[in-house]
Amino acid sequence: MGRSQKKILVTALLKAANLNKSFGGVRAVYDVSVDVPAGSIFALIGPNGAGKSTLLNLLSGVYQPDSGSLFFNQASLIGLPAYERARLGIARTFQKIRLFKQLTLLENVLTGFHLHQDVPLWKCFLPGGAGRFRGEAMDLLSFVGLGNRANDRAGALSYGQQRMLEIARALATRPKLFMLDEPAAGLNAAEVEFLLKRLQNINQQNVTVLVVEHNMDLVMNVAQRVLVMDHGVRLFEGNPREVQANPRVIEAYLGGAFAS
Amino acid sequence: MSGGLTRKKGTVFLIALIFIAAAPWLLSTSYWRGILVLCAMNVLLALSLNLVLGYTGQLNLGQSAFFGIGAYVSTILIKTYGWNFWLAALAAVAAAGLVGVALAAFAVRLRGHYLAIASLGFAVITYQVLVNWESVTQGVRGMYGILSPVPNAVALFYLVAGIGLVVYFLLDNLVRSPVGDTLRAIREDEVSAAALGVNAAVWKAFAFGLGAAIAGLAGCFYPGFVGTLVPDAFGIVESFTMMAMVIVGGMGTMIGPVIGAVVLTFLPELLRGFGELRLMIYGVALTLVVLFMPGGIVQAWVGLKKRFS
Amino acid sequence: MTDLLALVVQQSVNGIYLGCLYVMVALGLTLIYGVLNQINFAHADFVTVGAFTAFFTATRFATKALGIPDTGAYLLSLFSALGAGALLGWLVSVTVFAPLRRRGADELRPLIATIGVSVLLENGQLALFGPIPYQFDSPLARETIRLGPIFFSGQSALVVAVSLAAIAALYAFMRFTFMGKALRAVAQDRETAGLMGINENLVIALTIVIASALAGVAGAMLGPVVVLTPFTGASLIVKAFAIVIIGGFGNMEGTIIAGLLVGIIEAFTVQYLGSGLIDLVVFAMLLGMLVVRPTGLIAERKEENV
Repeated sequence: MGRSQKKILVTALLKAANLNKSFGGVRAVYDVSVDVPAGSIFALIGPNGAGKSTLLNLLSGVYQPDSGSLFFNQASLIGLPAYERARLGIARTFQKIRLFKQLTLLENVLTGFHLHQDVPLWKCFLPGGAGRFRGEAMDLLSFVGLGNRANDRAGALSYGQQRMLEIARALATRPKLFMLDEPAAGLNAAEVEFLLKRLQNINQQNVTVLVVEHNMDLVMNVAQRVLVMDHGVRLFEGNPREVQANPRVIEAYLGGAFAS
Repeated sequence: MSGGLTRKKGTVFLIALIFIAAAPWLLSTSYWRGILVLCAMNVLLALSLNLVLGYTGQLNLGQSAFFGIGAYVSTILIKTYGWNFWLAALAAVAAAGLVGVALAAFAVRLRGHYLAIASLGFAVITYQVLVNWESVTQGVRGMYGILSPVPNAVALFYLVAGIGLVVYFLLDNLVRSPVGDTLRAIREDEVSAAALGVNAAVWKAFAFGLGAAIAGLAGCFYPGFVGTLVPDAFGIVESFTMMAMVIVGGMGTMIGPVIGAVVLTFLPELLRGFGELRLMIYGVALTLVVLFMPGGIVQAWVGLKKRFS
Repeated sequence: MTDLLALVVQQSVNGIYLGCLYVMVALGLTLIYGVLNQINFAHADFVTVGAFTAFFTATRFATKALGIPDTGAYLLSLFSALGAGALLGWLVSVTVFAPLRRRGADELRPLIATIGVSVLLENGQLALFGPIPYQFDSPLARETIRLGPIFFSGQSALVVAVSLAAIAALYAFMRFTFMGKALRAVAQDRETAGLMGINENLVIALTIVIASALAGVAGAMLGPVVVLTPFTGASLIVKAFAIVIIGGFGNMEGTIIAGLLVGIIEAFTVQYLGSGLIDLVVFAMLLGMLVVRPTGLIAERKEENV
């Protein structure tokens, strides 16, 4: 299996209980509860339309749940808008890449430091009011392998590179919980490999990672805990081996992804 | 991307200063000096709109309303209540800024063309208020006999152009600072900006308010320049003209609006030989730029530099 | 009591007449939005062009050159305005909308381009016709028809008749002809319509032409009733937007209802408020609408796909 043995702390960083979300009568998420252990890599998988992205949007604050509770480090997230959750230490990437296309790579990552900028407003009107995160931003760009393209326009990057830039930018917020929405979609094998290593590296620096994914390699080789969803409800939760062996999970996927 | 006074910036500033100092003597008829004052005001207006439209990406078609609020509030305070010009100007700028923050409340809830129409509606409402609140504003009859704070057109030009330089300097630093990054993040993609901790509502309020305040500041000098203050100068047409200046010059850059304001103030004058058709220059320039060179004159300039380097 | 009733009915009739005018202007806007997802800021200026075309046709061309009597000349001018509107719409579609669509422009650029066209049209007409208002007399405006205690002018009757005819024709077109159905398809889902073999560019161009023709006719009927200057359209434009927003962008039925509503409100309040404050009321309604229900009275909400 080749994955590092990690000691998983018992405390749950993120606790969601009985989350419900409907859109115009269609139930996207129904009575879903999940505890994400601190310091873990947690995978959220399921066939198309299972409600995984909706759940992620509920956790990150793009949507507010119709009912249910949601706690992050014992602080309730219900009613908090997305930007407040980022302030608490939740970062995310998006299924459809949402970069600042007209800005350079460096400028993209620098915006990520928004929460940590401490220059008072009046000083920004004077010369030299630029923030002090340039070095750290360059480090993040190197971390995702884009260090040599710092001054290129983000729109000029390839798809895979844009995904990595999104990750670098989200990391700039110095999150405690990093959620990714199908980060491996559209990446070739080498890029996926690189992504896996980066995620492990991020996790080793004490960041809890939650990944919504289709790609089984990523899930099986990297995740410590997996929640399977189908049709908006919890189907099964366990470690990767348990998930792979579970007949209901296999049935939900119709054997497609699990044939190995 | 460093802020501060680099050598190149310093030289450009110096050149601008020399131009400004010399202009009223190169164009020394009273007519042309009037055009210079108008140009300086347009530069301020274009800079103000660019902050909201170019940097924060908010489709604001109502900027002329703030120009009008600045003009009327300052004039009313001076004429009706006997205030000193500078105090009245301060109050007018504050008033414009506050109304700008109020308009931002719409920007928070509306996107794209909805905001465009709402801001347009706001401009029309402001115009109607100016026209109909006759007891205060004298409506279409206008307010007469308004004195300028300085004795002549040359001094007025230096004053407004000087203010323009200061505003440019402050805004230029602002957009290079983390605030600039935040505003552009909102422009590019609000959803991911929120995921990075950006409170879009607060920053939109900031951009709208500051933009409105600067437009209001320009408005304070307008009545003294024209002598008679009527609401007609603050309608949809003016908003469109301001937008044309920002876009033709180069939206989202600092120097673009300045260029656009200068070009679109002087070009109709240089085309006087063509009679009334010269006013079509605004429409033509705007349409052509949007079709073929969306980055405006600045984009053309950068493209030319690349060609020949 | 009957006096009050008569007053209410009279104002309602006036309101319907006004409303029909507004509907003619707003329908074109909503049609273009439905098919292109774009707002045409120049639309109201098409109305102005229609009004001036009608004016010159009726007062100079038809009567003087062709010697047609007044009423006939006016009716002829309606057709010329229709033609002028259609032609202008086709021109703008070919020179502005189509190129921008080809370049895959975002939301902002086409909107600003239409602003550019609007400024161009206004100043062009200003250069050609000057700022002084024109006196456009429609012979029908002088004829009064009486139904019991209710009065209305021949012009109002014409407006209502033409609007009803236009709306009926539009409905028939959309429902029974292939092009009409293609239009509805493109409005619903442009990509799929293209995949089904519909020539979207043709459909879009046709829609713009129809919308502009409607605007032209609206201008011809509006000319005699308002102050005719190059900026006539501009004074209408925010009202037209208000109607389209209240009714829901791209929603024909909603636009018709909203247009009639605005017309009736205006008819009832004009006596007490005067036309300047009417604008204020309508626009305040608009802003209120945008805050409470930006998608319109009838349209459904769409969640943003993240």
